[in-house]
Amino acid sequence: MSGTDIAFFLLALAAIAGGVTMLQLTNVVHMVIALVMTFLGIAGLYVLLSAEFVAVVQVLIYSGAITIIMLFAIMLTRHHADDKERQTTGGVWHRAVAAISVLAFGLAVYFGIRRLDFGADGSALAADNAREIGKWLYSYYTIPFEIVSVILLVALIGAIVLAKKDGKGAEDK
Amino acid sequence: MTLSAYLALALILFCIGLYGALTKRNTVIVLICIELMLNAVNINFVAFAKYGAHPGVHGHVFALFAIAIAAAEAAVGLAALIAFYRNRKTVQVDEANSLKH
Amino acid sequence: MMNLAWVVPLFPLCSFALLLLFGRKWKKASAYVGIVATLLSLLAALGVLAGRLGGTTYEANWTWMQIGDVTLTAGFSVTALNAWMLVVVAFVSWLVHIYSQGYMAGDERFSTFYAYLGLFTFAMLGLVLSPNLLQAYIFWELVGLGSFLLIGFYFYKEEAKAAAKKAFIMTRIGDVGFFIGMLLLFWQTKSFDYDDIFRAVGDGTLSPGMTTLTAILIFIGAIGKSGQFPLHTWLPDAMEGPTPVSALIHAATMVAAGVYLVAALFPLYEASEAAMMTVAVIGGVTAIFAATIGLVQTDIKRVLAYSTISQLGYMMLALGSGSYVAAIFHLTTHAFFKALLFLAAGSVIHAVHTQNIEEMGGLWRRLPWTAPLFLVGALSISGVPLFAGFFSKDEILAAAWLNGSVELFWLAVAAALLTSFYMFRLFFLVFTGEARHDGDAHEAPMSMVGPMVVLGVLSVASGYIQTPWFGSFLGEWLTDGAYHHEAAPGWIAVVATIVSLVGILLAWLMYGKRTVPRDWLSARAPHGYELLRRHYYVDDFYRWTVVALVSFISRLLAYVDRYLVEGIVRLVTGTVSAAASAGSRGQNGQAQTYGAVTVAGLAILVVIFALTGGYWL
Repeated sequence: MSGTDIAFFLLALAAIAGGVTMLQLTNVVHMVIALVMTFLGIAGLYVLLSAEFVAVVQVLIYSGAITIIMLFAIMLTRHHADDKERQTTGGVWHRAVAAISVLAFGLAVYFGIRRLDFGADGSALAADNAREIGKWLYSYYTIPFEIVSVILLVALIGAIVLAKKDGKGAEDK
Repeated sequence: MTLSAYLALALILFCIGLYGALTKRNTVIVLICIELMLNAVNINFVAFAKYGAHPGVHGHVFALFAIAIAAAEAAVGLAALIAFYRNRKTVQVDEANSLKH
Repeated sequence: MMNLAWVVPLFPLCSFALLLLFGRKWKKASAYVGIVATLLSLLAALGVLAGRLGGTTYEANWTWMQIGDVTLTAGFSVTALNAWMLVVVAFVSWLVHIYSQGYMAGDERFSTFYAYLGLFTFAMLGLVLSPNLLQAYIFWELVGLGSFLLIGFYFYKEEAKAAAKKAFIMTRIGDVGFFIGMLLLFWQTKSFDYDDIFRAVGDGTLSPGMTTLTAILIFIGAIGKSGQFPLHTWLPDAMEGPTPVSALIHAATMVAAGVYLVAALFPLYEASEAAMMTVAVIGGVTAIFAATIGLVQTDIKRVLAYSTISQLGYMMLALGSGSYVAAIFHLTTHAFFKALLFLAAGSVIHAVHTQNIEEMGGLWRRLPWTAPLFLVGALSISGVPLFAGFFSKDEILAAAWLNGSVELFWLAVAAALLTSFYMFRLFFLVFTGEARHDGDAHEAPMSMVGPMVVLGVLSVASGYIQTPWFGSFLGEWLTDGAYHHEAAPGWIAVVATIVSLVGILLAWLMYGKRTVPRDWLSARAPHGYELLRRHYYVDDFYRWTVVALVSFISRLLAYVDRYLVEGIVRLVTGTVSAAASAGSRGQNGQAQTYGAVTVAGLAILVVIFALTGGYWL
């Protein structure tokens, strides 16, 4: 077993553990923190997959920005960190249906991917793949890249409009 | 490591995210679970970029796009959450049932 | 004038339509509309009669519809018989219209009453004018409708409602016979026309068996309409209607429609010995049967109703004995004296506000017009010489004797005795003795007395159109001069006279002078008395057999309907609504439930895909 394998297992364990912990915890803030572990694990996996740039972006956007924005949202809204009210919706039936469906889906897909291997060793990826990404992004993917920037702008303005206090009374205050 | 290990991991994370999105009561957690599902997809992109039939950085580019869209989605989703909270004084997803039969 | 005969029924129809539209507004003036309309009808009918007197039979037909090679016609005909009937019907109807103005005064539905009278008069005149069976059947049913509406006129009274339904259903039983007979005739002769049917009977197109069958079936219709045994039970109950209606419909005109129908189809009956025998026997039995029941009734109108049934039995007996003229003669005189008796009874009821003869008495002085007029009617119906009833009844007795049916003759004589007895029992109980009611009794207004006076005169005078002494005008005219009066043995008239006088004497002894106690007979034969009082248990018999059977079947069907049919319907609706409520429970507004369902669907698809080997294709 190579060091890469050990690293993969550890990182995979961290990611799955984060997810399972998130499902088990009751405190919302704790749940978000548990997810940070998953995100970091995934970032590590990206490094193993020779995608250093994506790994860095993952840490920045997920572990940093999105987690922080989620925490802000939790704090802006009423939350009972230690309340005993149930964390899940619906009754037993609802959860059973969801669990069985998800399990069935997972198993079916698992049997599909179990022996999937294209035989590639990944050596084709250059060590300086950040440069490669830059080249592709600003040449071949220029138009999607610009459209993404527009989407981000729209999302920004949309978020502001949605979160803004509406009505004249709010402005008067 | 083989491709299927990464895909299996992504599958497990996707299933965790899906189950959480379907059952958690807090809207914030539901949104985070959706982010988790998107991450699982990103793992697939990057894994295929290395071990796929045609290795290359295109998978990375798609992962980056996905991350950008996910960030936008998180921002809009949370704005909607704030608006919902202001109207209903709650963030529980099962209390958003005005469209009930 | 005869080619305009079709206008005769139109006037009452106009009156009906106008009153239906404007009756509420006109209120009391409605009476004048009805009176004027029937007066015009009467004048037109007299014109038609005058035309027929100087001419021959007139018939007009138009093609109504053509089905294949069969042509149905509609039209009218003026024969000696129906010209005569037109006058009788229009005349009685006119008098009843006038009378009702006083009798119905103050009734809330005054104009409706006149509208119904108009409808009835229209239907009756239409029936009389019909030249074919189909048209006759239509008007026959319309007449039944008019009768139904008028019997149930006081529809807020339970008895009136029940009586109206009973009348409709009982006559309908007879109508089924009529209908089947009519269709059989049509099947055999390809025509509804009276003339075609008679021709078919004459040239043998209609086999003797079929002739008998159709004649008897149509006679069943006549039994229902004319209240003959065993379908007579509706007629006494029909007395729940207003008294003028009883006079017009249930004494003078509609119930005579059965007699008229048999008379109109007389050649058909003459061709069949068995049919004639049936008619005669039913008539004779009904005459004595109803007369015996009439002996013990205490309701003034019911006594008259049974008397009507009995007299209609006489007419049927006359027809069955082959004396068409005697039947129409009696029909005419009966129309006058029975209408008179009913109108007089109405006047009595109007005065004392009860129909129970036990609560009347001593009204002779109080009702100076009604009482003598009632006496005239009673003498006439009893067959006292010189009154109209004497002549017509004598004709019938003679016809029965000459026909050779001795039993029926003596039955009719016995019925005559009973008739004079119960009529004078009624007279003595109502008008003599001490008053057994409280309150004032006033004579009716002139609008009621006037028609009674006219009818009183006719109750005497109408007998002289056909007498052994002054010639038989009616007979000659009805048969277009071919009539030859068969000399009946002189003793028949003597017997009839003696019998009627004996009846009057007995009634006087029992109820007038009271030398014989009233319960002399009922104390000696209590069972017989009870039998008569309960109308021979015919009603009870029907209730325990026909009604019980029908209501058992209908209840059974009701259960089938309620539990089987409705059960299936409920199963269907229940399934649908259960599916709907299950579906709507799914629409609970929970986004996560929707999501769970979606994922479940996706999972199922993926699993199916995996199991069918989609990956390794």
